[in-house]
Order: sequence, then structure tokens, then C-alpha cells
Amino acid sequence: MKKSILYSLSLLFIISACNPLDENPKAFIATDNFYKTDEDADAAVIAVHNAINSSTHTLYNRLIQISTEMATDDYEAGPRARNAHVRALSNLTHDASNDRMLEIWRQSYDGINRANVAIDNIANNPNLDFQKAKDLINEAKFLRAVFYFNIVRWFGDVPLVLHEVKSLSPETINISNTPETEVYAQIENDLIDAESLPVTQPIKGRITSGAAKSLLAKVYLTQKKWQKAAEKSKEVIDSKMYDLFENYADVFNVATKNGKEHIYSAQFKGFTNWNGNMLASTAAPTSVPGIAGDQADALHKEGGLFEAFAENDTRKYITFAVEFVSPTDGKTYKVAPHFNKYFDPATPASPGQSSKNTPIIRFAEVLLINSEALNELNGPSAEAFAGIDRVRQRAGIDLLSVTSPSISKDDFRETVFEERRKELVYEYQRWFDLARRGSDYFVAKLKAAGKNNAQPKHIHFPIPQRELDLNPNLKQVPDWR
Amino acid sequence: MAFRAPYLLNQSKVMKKNINILIWITILFISIRANAQDTKPLIQSTLNGVVVDQVTNQPIPGVNIQIKGITHNAMTDMDGKFYFQTGQKFPYTLIVSYIGYETQEYIANTDYVQISLKESRTELDELVIIGYGSTTKKDYTGAAENVSSTALKATQRSLESSLQGSVAGVNVTQTSGQPGAGLSIRVRGGSSIQGGNEPLYVIDGFPIYNSEITSGVLSGTPTNPLSSINPSDIESITVLKDASSTAIYGSRGANGVIIIKTKKGSSTAMTVNYDFTIGQQQVRNKVDVLDAKGFANLRNAALYDTNPTLGTNQYLSDAQIAALGKGVDWQEEAFQKGITQNHQLSILGGNNQTKYAVSGNYYNQEGVIKNTGFERLSVRVNLDSKISSNARFGLNLTISETNAKVAPAGLITSLLSMPPTATIYEPDGSYTLRNPFENIFANPIATLNERKNEAITDRVLGTIYGEYDLLKDLVLKVSFGSDLIFNKEKSYLPSTIYEGLITNGESKIGTTDSKTWLNENTLTYSKIFGEKHSLNVLLGYTQQHSTREFVTSGSQQFVNDITYYYSLQSGNVALIPSSGESTWALNSYLSRVNYNYNSKYYLTASLRADGSSRFGQNNKWGYFPSFALAWQISNEDFFSSLKNVINSLKIRSSYGATGNQEIGEYQSLATLSSVKYLFGDQIFTGFTPTRISNDDLGWELTKQFDAGIDVGFFDDKLNLTADVYRKTTENLLLAVQIPHTTGFTSSLQNYGSVQNQGIELGINASLGNTSFSWTSNFNIAFNDNKIIALGNDAEFYTFGNYILKKGESLGTFYGAITDGILQPADIATKGAYTGNATPKAGDRLYKDINGDGAFTTAADRTSIGDAQPDFIFGFTNTFTYRGFELSTLINGSVGNKILNGNAQALELYNGQQNASTSASDAWTPTNPSTTTPRAKLDPAPVFSDRFVEDGSFVRIKNITFSYNLPKKFSEKLLLNAVKFRVIGENLFTFTKYTGYDPEVTNGTTISPGTDTGIYPATKTISGGLIITF
Repeated sequence: MKKSILYSLSLLFIISACNPLDENPKAFIATDNFYKTDEDADAAVIAVHNAINSSTHTLYNRLIQISTEMATDDYEAGPRARNAHVRALSNLTHDASNDRMLEIWRQSYDGINRANVAIDNIANNPNLDFQKAKDLINEAKFLRAVFYFNIVRWFGDVPLVLHEVKSLSPETINISNTPETEVYAQIENDLIDAESLPVTQPIKGRITSGAAKSLLAKVYLTQKKWQKAAEKSKEVIDSKMYDLFENYADVFNVATKNGKEHIYSAQFKGFTNWNGNMLASTAAPTSVPGIAGDQADALHKEGGLFEAFAENDTRKYITFAVEFVSPTDGKTYKVAPHFNKYFDPATPASPGQSSKNTPIIRFAEVLLINSEALNELNGPSAEAFAGIDRVRQRAGIDLLSVTSPSISKDDFRETVFEERRKELVYEYQRWFDLARRGSDYFVAKLKAAGKNNAQPKHIHFPIPQRELDLNPNLKQVPDWR
Repeated sequence: MAFRAPYLLNQSKVMKKNINILIWITILFISIRANAQDTKPLIQSTLNGVVVDQVTNQPIPGVNIQIKGITHNAMTDMDGKFYFQTGQKFPYTLIVSYIGYETQEYIANTDYVQISLKESRTELDELVIIGYGSTTKKDYTGAAENVSSTALKATQRSLESSLQGSVAGVNVTQTSGQPGAGLSIRVRGGSSIQGGNEPLYVIDGFPIYNSEITSGVLSGTPTNPLSSINPSDIESITVLKDASSTAIYGSRGANGVIIIKTKKGSSTAMTVNYDFTIGQQQVRNKVDVLDAKGFANLRNAALYDTNPTLGTNQYLSDAQIAALGKGVDWQEEAFQKGITQNHQLSILGGNNQTKYAVSGNYYNQEGVIKNTGFERLSVRVNLDSKISSNARFGLNLTISETNAKVAPAGLITSLLSMPPTATIYEPDGSYTLRNPFENIFANPIATLNERKNEAITDRVLGTIYGEYDLLKDLVLKVSFGSDLIFNKEKSYLPSTIYEGLITNGESKIGTTDSKTWLNENTLTYSKIFGEKHSLNVLLGYTQQHSTREFVTSGSQQFVNDITYYYSLQSGNVALIPSSGESTWALNSYLSRVNYNYNSKYYLTASLRADGSSRFGQNNKWGYFPSFALAWQISNEDFFSSLKNVINSLKIRSSYGATGNQEIGEYQSLATLSSVKYLFGDQIFTGFTPTRISNDDLGWELTKQFDAGIDVGFFDDKLNLTADVYRKTTENLLLAVQIPHTTGFTSSLQNYGSVQNQGIELGINASLGNTSFSWTSNFNIAFNDNKIIALGNDAEFYTFGNYILKKGESLGTFYGAITDGILQPADIATKGAYTGNATPKAGDRLYKDINGDGAFTTAADRTSIGDAQPDFIFGFTNTFTYRGFELSTLINGSVGNKILNGNAQALELYNGQQNASTSASDAWTPTNPSTTTPRAKLDPAPVFSDRFVEDGSFVRIKNITFSYNLPKKFSEKLLLNAVKFRVIGENLFTFTKYTGYDPEVTNGTTISPGTDTGIYPATKTISGGLIITF
């Protein structure tokens, strides 16, 4: 009997050894096992790209449109924009509790963190191919600059986070505001590093040196560093790497995607396991049989954008559609002007599956940056006319140097801004352009368009209340306090 | 399960019975054969037999057997057997008596008899099944309660529903009326914020945390895994509440433990039981919404409000409105009277060596919404066998399949919001795709009719055990168990409905395998020393391991809608398949000592050590001790004079620690997840971190103090149990919100503390004689739930419409306070309190809580009630008179609030979707309403106290009326017993709540008591019969 007790007890001990408590997830990669190879490093940077437009309602797949562009003179919440937060933005009655604000903030810092993770981990691994590692780090820096450049313009002094957050201690997670100038300095540094990227990339859609230079020119321009903006944009123009499409329509053709004018674009492809361009759906009409539009992004009529285009401006009916042919009954339906840049005729029944890219920076803008900067430096010189007139020539409208050769500096500035407005409709540009002119200009433009709630504070968005609640070191944008 | 003595039949009757049984077989497709023993009326002078317990079928030693009228007697041996030289002629009467059992007169007419003795059932002798053992209520030092048999018998849907109202301190609410959906169960309040709050279920010794199993393909409420367990197989349910009871389950005991024992065989003749119930279900009520005329007026008003220059009839003219009928009643179109049916066949029997219980069950419940429903098919086998005098083995096995057709998410909201002027079909006979107005959502009837949305779950739950008496008092028990769940979800969105239009048909299939293995090894030593020292010691080692894997796949762009999800390859676009895996392991050492001195002074101490894979590497092991003392005062000598009135009196107290580990897997690790990006035309995969690692992640620790008293009056005719407790949970597993600047939203940490304290009272009373009896059970529980700390010095966190705030309850609503309607004269003075930039008369006013002179939704919110009831109660009464039995269960909840999310949507009055009938009182210049704002096209939804309603209710949960056919009739049918019954569920409810049903919650821990788009609860009338062969 004693033996059997002994046997039983020893059995218990044997059994007790075979159910280990260590966790070894099979479906997830543990951070410790990653960032070891060149392929890992590449995957880390692809994850940063993903933060640009990972799915619907991500930064460059409509989020910026509904979160910021709605609050301008050219756009308003359309009939399908039922979200009260979006409508508040459209009416400029938004506040710090606005969920769209929180989302652009969250997604931007998500992208920044991914960039920081990639940069830190690639830099820390001496076993990677040196040149490849450097290029990957610079791609991540370019993307980090894109995210910071957005949030510094939206929110002003924002926390500047440059390394992966690894600890949960309050010191590491409660980061205070960094002055705007320091944030811009970092953006410039990142872009200067990214200038050493290859001039062309074998895989279309990845970041090039030209993209870094072009964005850098825009960063300088935004800071009114006119000399540097003029030089950097000239560098891009003179590189001859880029050119305008002869035909404006080709800027938004699926067949000419990632072409000579495209410097850096958010990439879309419908009916695949990637995403279609949602702006195609949210601009499309709801009244045409067979076109399943979901028009939430509407033209703000009182702003007069549609009327601002001359009839002979070839951009007018590429930018807008005023009629649609129904794919079901073949009839033509007249509609009020709808934004049409991304509507993909291949996917009328599912406009959201549009394969058209959204440009983030393209050559036409570089030309306009160059003209604007030169005008600010030296007034309307011949050099200054060159950029804007290339853009106007392609649009089929009169050259400014011909119609107004002796235009004043101020009028030239206004003309460039108006040209930007028309050239870059529905490309996430308008709010930034209005805001960088200052609050008087911003308020005047919006009030002129009947958006009477506009106030000086609207040249920034309020930092989300959630962030202020959680982080005692974070301060609200001064005008929003 | 009546035991039928063989002497009742003679030979010819047996034959006739067999023929009749054949008829029954044909009718009912069931096979039965009662073990009819030949009866030979011989004259014999010896008598052999065995005496067993009627319930447990265990032999009873020491039973006195006496022949009536003479002094000759015998006593059963250790195996319950006796042998008797009687010298008497059959038949003669035996008087069988034993302490603790009812004395029985038994007519002997064979030389071998088996006699079942019925325990003299006093409340205190009631068996209490506890962790890794059992005891009697009398000897128990903790707080545990059995579910009444009345409640058990009334339940066919799922086993947890029998807990509703029948156990003090157990709050059961329905998460959905969807057939097969789960219930939310809180034992003594919820103590975790983000970890699981559901109790641990222990089914025939197998611990199960009832987590949803879904691959995510299904839209709507996933099937409740416990619905695969057939409630008719359940013998008893015991709820363990205090730490002394639950600490033996260590890291899984904090939310209470529900111990379920299924029916076992008996060493008597076979009995066959067939139970059939058929019923009809319907919704309790409909929500009042506008008809076509009302809606047309509303839309006209909303359009006029936006653009007055276009006139007051922008939608329809007065003449058109006058010509409208009622329009489509979308609720009516979707609701139906659902038929439920339940067939249960059980066969129980055995002999001295082997006992068996075999059952089969088919349950079918049609939903009260068309094309929804639930089916269950299950088979159970329980076997217990003696190998030798000191070794036993057994098996519990259940195999089941459930099939649920589920109402897709958002359906109820659409039914309520779809305008009555919209039609189900277009004039050409095709479906109207969606709401024709600005707010897009699909035609819910098209969705219901055409969408496929099903979940099928196969489950095999079984344990085998061996028991060996190492010494006379030392028993080794080793068991191995497995719980295999295979879940398949199938979805098809046809191209003919709005949801399938864009994808031109979308088909998805998801499967999830969950495999849990269990090994338990226990040693139990029990001995009475010197007649007064009773000792019971338990030692054990257990290990449990679980792996879950899922796969989903799907495709879109189908040529037609013929093949549903049976031919994914027919779609033109394949969706990226996905798969995943998670594994957890739990190793435990457990020990418990029970000691009592002379049945007066009781002591229980237990300790469990749990090692869980789920926690951070610095915190894998947790230790959970408990300690309890009890004093059976009524067994003291000085008490004897009171015994006529108070036959028993016990006071007890316990303190101990339990844990909670329900956080999911890999939560402490920094892991990466895959993401994609498109370059050119090619998709590339990247990896990004999903969280910041936390090596210190550990247990949620609940410390509970309990003090209780058990009193029995008048020979247990009246029993009273009362408990007070305080349960403090620390180191809450909380997804602490962190600034987004970290790149993340939250981080799972051990933070904060929640306290539940309360009082529970249970009263049982029984009266009656042989022809009439009345038993009554009343229980009431008061629980006060309070957040003590949130860690990180945080005073509060907000989560949508809820706030977690120090000093307040979990489930506190957080919103604005309404303050009437803006009237024209007040625009200048009160306009700022509408929250609108351009206030207009008829806007709703809100209180300016922060006093800054204006109302904003962000800054002017406050706590506006909570979902925790002040008290809950249940009241069960059972009356029997001869063959009739009437039982009623009344339950209720008082003081809890419900967020009526449906009302919030219906009170937008925007004319884009249907609205509550209160829209007819909307503010207009001629109707200066002070409660209902004006109609407008784009109101900003503000969550306010307007939508927080009193959720208190009292309801007659169950009425069962049954009738046992008198023996003389049932025997004519050659059946042992026939019972008819009629059951009414939820027939009467008294509540002020205006939604579908007050017994509702969306089930998440942070946001209990939200009623938005929940499948409505039902009331049911059913009837059936139970036949025993």
C-alpha cells in the first residue's frame, strides 16, 4: 500500500513538469526576434508607409479632407456627411472634443512612432547592409517629416517624439509641447537627410531624393524662408527628373499613375486586397442610377470655386463633373458640380474602389512654390512668372506674363494662391494654404464664403481634449485655451 | 425518476407492457425497455437485499430492517447488503429505518429486494458541491447556494438562465434576445473593469471560462458557448460566492464559481424518461415610432427648418400626406411568433457495479425575428463503475452541435429608424436598397430575408477519472478531460441587397478550433479521530492547457447569388485570408483542510498556487489563501432547550484571496502585427509594434471578507441565511489610456481598485402534508459597487458615454443634463446653453455644468446615474396538491439605470429617419413644447440624462403549472408516470422602462446597461409532457 502511494506521488511530479508557462505566440512576431535582417528592416519601413493611408478614413484616404478641409471656403459637409463632428468642422463649431481632431492626432503620432521604431532599430543593427539601412532610415525620416509637417501646421507647438517609447513611466509618456520652430528644425533635418535617398527608386511609390527636396521646399515656403524655398524648388525643377503632363487629366489617370509629374503620392488600387481611393466615393453623386456614390464631401457653393475656373480652363471639367452617364440606363444625368478627380470610370458601381492615387506633392506644386518664393524675394520677376505660367499654359489659360506683365507683388501673390487653389483642388491643400496666410486672411476668406463662424483661432485646430486630460505636461493651443 | 417496485406487475402485464412499449417506440422514435424483473410469488423463508440512497444510489450501511408486526430484524453491512432468515410467507411488510432517512414501509414479495431510502431532506442536509469535493450545508463554512430545482426544471434554453432570480447575489441580465446568445452574470457585483467579470463554470469538474468563440465572420451576437450544454442534463447547480468557497479556484475564483453536476445513473432498474415541450415566443412589446403621416409631417418640418424659403411642404403636400396610410411598420414586418420545441430522452440505470445515464436532446428555437433561430442537438453519457472494492472509474461525456441563425448587427436600429414611407420593395419587385433619405442604411427586411449569417458549434466535453483508495481513508483521484470546440461561421451578402451591392456578393467563412486539456490529481484524506475530531484534507496538482486557432477566408464579386458560401472560388476577388493562434497554460497546486470538533467548531483553510502563462515574466505565479471559521451553536448543550423553536443555528465567517486572469493571451509581450502597403501595383507586407511590453503584468487580486448566519426554525420548516461581505479587488487589469504621442492608445497595466460590499438574505419555508405542500424561497441582495482607485493618480477616465470615477460605481453614465427647450424670448439669454453656434428657438437647452457661461458637449458632462442595481431579488413559490403543481418565480431589480440608446436615435427628429411618436409634440412656434426640441435636419446628437431611464422592474419570470396523471391512469397506458405541464415565461413585467425590455445589457464591463439595437427579449408560453417508462 505504501508503494502505491509512492508511485502515485512520483507520477504527480512527472506530470507536473509538462505544461510550460512561457508564452510563445505563433501568430505574432515578438519584437525581440525582429529587426535582424535587411528584409525585417524593409518591413519596418513599409509599416511607416502604411500609416499614410492604411484603410478607409486614414490620413491620406479621406481623413484629412473631413477633419480639416471641411473647415475651408471650398468644401462643406455633403448630404451623406451625417457625422456631427464632421458637420461641426464644416460649420467651424468644432471644439477640443471633436473626434476627427483626435483621429488626425492619433494617426499622425502612430505614423511618427512607427518611423521612430524603424529608425531606432535599423540604426542599432550593425549587421544590416550599410547603404540599404541608410536608405531605409531616410525613407522613415521623410515620412516622419510628412507627419510632423502636418501636425505642426494643424496644432502649432506639438510634442516632438523622436525615439520609440519603450517604458510606461510618466516621464517618458507625458511629453510637453515643443516650440513650433524646433519642430520645423527637426522636419528640415529629416528632409535634408532624406535628400540623400536615390534619385529614382526601382519600385514606384517609394521615396526619392526629389520627393525630399520638393517637400523641403514646401516646408521652407511655409516658414516664409523664401530664399531657401526658391533654391530648393529650383533644384527640383533643374534636375529635369520631373515634368508636367501635357494633359491635366493624366495627373489623375490610372494608366499614368506614378508618372513624370508625380513626386510622391498616396497609393491606391481598388478591388484588390489594398484600398481604393475613398475620395472617389465620397465625392460621387447619389442620384445617378448605377453609381453608388456617397457624397459626403461637397463643394461649398458660396466659395465660388467652380465659377472661379474660366470655361476654357482644361482643369475645370476634370476637377468637376456636372453630369454622369448612368452605367445602368445609359442616360446622362445633370448634377451640381461634384469633385471628380478620383472618380474611376472603371468602378462606377463601387466608386470607393477607385485606383487613382492622391498626389501628396507633385511637380505643378513645385513650380508654384518656386514662383511664390521668388515673388516674395524679388517681386514678379521673369523667373517668378516661369513657374506659374507653365502651370497655366498646361491648363490652357492665358499666361500671367502675357495678361498682367506688370502685376504688383501683392497681386502676384494672390494670383499664385488662386492658382494653387484651382490646380490643387481636393488634394488636401486648401486649409494649409489659408492657414499659412494668417488669421486675418483666413477669417476674411471664410466669411466671404458665408462661413461666418470663422474666428482667428481657426488657423489652428485644438489639441484633442483626451490628450490634455491624460498628459498634464501638454498645453492647449493658446487661442483655444 | 420514479422507482417502480417489481411486485406491481404480474407476468401477463409484463408482456402486455412490452407490446405497448413497441407502440410507444413507433410513436416517439425512441427505444426503451424497462428492466422488468420477473416476479415469482414463492414462499421462502429467507430474504436478500440491498438498501441504497434514493438520490445517490450509494449503498447505506447500518440500516435497520424489521418485519412489521414482529421483532425480527436485520442490519445492512458495509455494502448496504443484508441477509435475513425470516420464516415468513410473502408478501410481508418491512419497516426500513435509518438515521437521516425517512422510515419506509416496503412490501416484500421476492427473495431479493432493493430498497431505496429517501433522505429525510432537511435544508441542512442538502448536499453542497464544492471545489474538488462535496459537503452538506450543515457542515459548510462558506457561502454557497444551490439553484432551486424549480428553476432548474423550468430551463431549456441555457443553463445560466436558471440562475435568474434563484440565487441571492447573482445578477443575470440578457445581452441579447437572439436565440442562443449569452447572458451576463455577476456574482456579488462586477469587480473587474476590463478583465472578464463572468464567473468560472465547473462542469463535472471541468473549469470553463465562458468566453465567446468567434472568428469575426459572423455579424451580430456570437453564440454563447454554454448554450451547447443541455440544461435538461443538469442535476444541480451550486454557486460559490465567498472567498472560502472560491479560493480553491485561485486565479479564476474572483468572479464567483458556478459548479454544475450532470445527472448520474443509479444502481436500480432502468428508467426511461421522455420530455417534450413546445412553445411559442413573441416580443414583449414594440417600440412606438411614427407612422407614415407622422413621419411625413416630421420630414416636412425638418426641411422647412433648414430652408424656410422653400415652404412648409418640401417633402409631401398636405394632400399627399392625407392620402398616406400607416405606411410600413418595419418592426411588424420583421417580428414573428417563434415556435420553440424541446425533446429530451434520458435513460438512467445500472447495477451495483456500473451506473449509467444516457440522454439525447433536440432543442429548436425560432427567433421572434424572422430568419433567426437556434438549434441544439446533444448527447450525453455518464458512466460510473466499480473495478474492485477500492477502485472506481468513470466517464462524463457530452457531444453537441448548435446551429444559430443570427440577426446581423444593427438590424434592430434599422428596423426602428427605417421611415414608414419607405417601401420594402420597389415597384419592379426588387428590394428597396436603403433608407431613401440622407442617413444611409440598408433595408432591414431585405437584409433579414436575403443575408446568410450563421454559426455552427460542435463541442465535445468529456472527462474520465479513476479513483483509488490508497488507504482506507486516503483516496487518490486522477482525471483527464478535454473540451474541444469547433466553431464555424458563415456569412453571405447577396448582390441584391445594399450591403452586398458594392462587393457584388460577398461570401465569408471562418472557423475557430478551441482545444482545452485538463489533468487533475487530488488526494483526499478524511477521518474521524476519537469520534469528535473530524478531519478532511485535500492536496492536489492540476494543469490546464488551451489552444485556439482561427482561419477566415472569403471572396467577392460573384456572378450570381446561387452558391452562397459554398463556393468561394466562384468569386472574382479573393479576400486576404487570415489566421491566428493563442495558447494559454495554467498549472496549480491546491490544498485544503476541513476540521470540525464534535460538529460544533469548524475550521477550513485552503491555499492554491496558480502559475499562468498570461502574465508578465516577473509575475507568473500567484498565491490564493483562504480561511474560514464556523460555530454550530445549536449543537451546544446549552442550546438544547431552544431546539423546539430553533433547530439549528450556525454562524460563520471567512476571509481569503482570489484572482482574475481573464485578459487574453500575450498581453504582456511586445509583439508585432502585419500591415500592408502598395507600391506601384504590388502589395508589400510590413510589421509594426502592437503595444509597449509590460513584464510586471500580474493578477487581479480580490480579497473578500464574509460573515454569515444560517438558522433553521421549527424542524427546518423555515430557514434563513444571511451574509454580509466586502470584496475589494486590487491591481485591476486595466487598459490604461496613455497619450497618443506614444504611438499607442492604451497599455494593459495593474492599476486601481474596486470594492463591492453588500448584504444577502435568503429565506426558505415549507409547509404541508402528504396531499398539499407549499415551499417558498425568497432571496434579496444589496450590493454597493464603488471604484476606490484608478491608479496613476487619475481621478477619472471617460469611455464614450461612461465614466470611471473614484467613489462612483462601475457603469456610471456620463453626459449632459437637459434643461428644457429654448423659447423665442430667451434666445439672447439662454442661446449659449444649446451648444449650437447659431441658437434657434426650439433647440434643446443643457445645464452649464462648469459654469463658463456656455454649454459644450465636451466640458459640460457629469455623472447621470449608473447601471448598478440597489438590490435584486427573487421569490419562488411552489404549491402542490395531489397531482397538481404550481410554481412561480418572481424576480426584480431596483435602482439600476439603463441607457436607452434606441430612444437616443429615435429622438433626433431629423426627418432623415423615423422617430419616436414624441415627435408629434416637437417644438413649433405654435406648440412651444418644453420637452421636445424642434425638428431639424442635422441635429448634433448629445448624450444626456434624457436617455438614461430607470431600469427597475418586477417580473413574473416563470409560472409553471403541471399535473401528474394519477398512477392508475398512467398504468393503464402502461407508463410509469405521465406529467403534463404549461410554462409561461416573462408573461408579466412591471417597469417604467420604455425600451423593449428592462433585463438588458450590452454586456461589456465598462459599459453595462446600454440598450442600443439589442435583439428584443421575449415572452413565451409553452406546454409539454414528461413520460416515464
